[in-house]
Amino acid sequence: MSARTLRITLTVFTLAGLGIASYLTYVHYAGIKPVCTAGGSCEKVQTSVYSELAGVPVALLGLLIYMAVFGLLLGPENESTRFAMMALTLVGFAFSAYLTYRELFSIHAICEWCASSAAILTLMAPLSVWRFLRGAPSRPVIGPGQRSVESRGQSVVLSNNL
Amino acid sequence: MSRPAHLLEHDHEDLPRKQRRERARAERKALEQAAATGVARRTRMTQLGIVLAVVVVGIVVVLLASGESATIKRIAPETAAARNVTHGIGKLLAGIPQSGTALGQPTAPVTLQYYGDLECPVCRAFTIGALPSIIQKDVRGGELRVEYHSLQTATREPEVFNSQQLAALAAGKQDKMWNFIETFYHEQGEEDSGYVTESYIQGIARQVHGLNIAQWTSDRGEDALANQVQRDAQAASNAGLEGTPAFLLGRSGGTLRRFQPSSYTEPGSFEAAIDKLAKA
Repeated sequence: MSARTLRITLTVFTLAGLGIASYLTYVHYAGIKPVCTAGGSCEKVQTSVYSELAGVPVALLGLLIYMAVFGLLLGPENESTRFAMMALTLVGFAFSAYLTYRELFSIHAICEWCASSAAILTLMAPLSVWRFLRGAPSRPVIGPGQRSVESRGQSVVLSNNL
Repeated sequence: MSRPAHLLEHDHEDLPRKQRRERARAERKALEQAAATGVARRTRMTQLGIVLAVVVVGIVVVLLASGESATIKRIAPETAAARNVTHGIGKLLAGIPQSGTALGQPTAPVTLQYYGDLECPVCRAFTIGALPSIIQKDVRGGELRVEYHSLQTATREPEVFNSQQLAALAAGKQDKMWNFIETFYHEQGEEDSGYVTESYIQGIARQVHGLNIAQWTSDRGEDALANQVQRDAQAASNAGLEGTPAFLLGRSGGTLRRFQPSSYTEPGSFEAAIDKLAKA
């Protein structure tokens, strides 16, 4: 998978996760029932003791992670941002796994929104790890208004305004 | 003028040497790059390892922390802690008329139906959180009457759910249902640990001051009470209630509507709704 395809894939996932986390955060603070096809399961999960960590709604924590990841994807790609994304998605994945464990074994109810977010992070984490381990793309990531030329065996990215 | 012959020979030897040098340099550069890539890869693996270790430790900490707050320290009957609980409940309910499932004046203008599962931790949170204020202010004040109804959620086995609810209803036949359920909620064990045994239920009953145990035991088998549990389940289904605690609120004798509080531990949203209905 090219670096660009990887970035696009991760961005699409992040947008989906942002949508879900925003909705769940809103539901939590508005005190309303989330839309649910599984009967009262979602509500049971959202109002359980596990829906907050040290007083902070878990949905808000998820939203913050997705927002940070989105910010990283929008910015330039380098070793540090690849590392940060790997770390964030691993944290998000591990936390989702823990919450899913609570849904199954403590609350005995599944919230489909939470499950969807968990699935997204399960896909994003290995992709981010792979992207990090791969290192710098051999073909640089080309932004708009740029083109790449070979110069002395290296890829060089030129901008239009040069 | 052409160069002397010996210098021409040197030119021929230089060319391959130059090429050899260029090739050697290129090979060295390739080796350096490969070494650098290898080092980079190892560094990244190490960094990944550190991140994974930190994440695992973090999750373990979260598990332990939330496990503790969720693990309710079982209060065993006949302990000092249990006596504290009973004393507190006695004070809370002293002088407030009880009749079957109801707590409060029969003439109270507002009725709140509280649907709960005795093993449900959120119901417990409500019972020891917002409810005492509501009882002190609105029930004692004569504005509100609270009725307890049952809806199975946290309790796994239907037989256990029936057994515990019938025990509560049987206490209600002696107008002590609220003492029973308050004690039960205060002394809940760890959810899903199977703590509600016959022995546990007996222990709760023994802590209800003034309860005639023989009468209570006999009443637990009453058909009328079993029917009450069925009716509660049906009413909950009709009202679209799926989780607990769930509340129906309205003018006494009028239509009760689904009430969703903004908090189970703070009485504010309850007070506001009850006051509004009382003045209506």
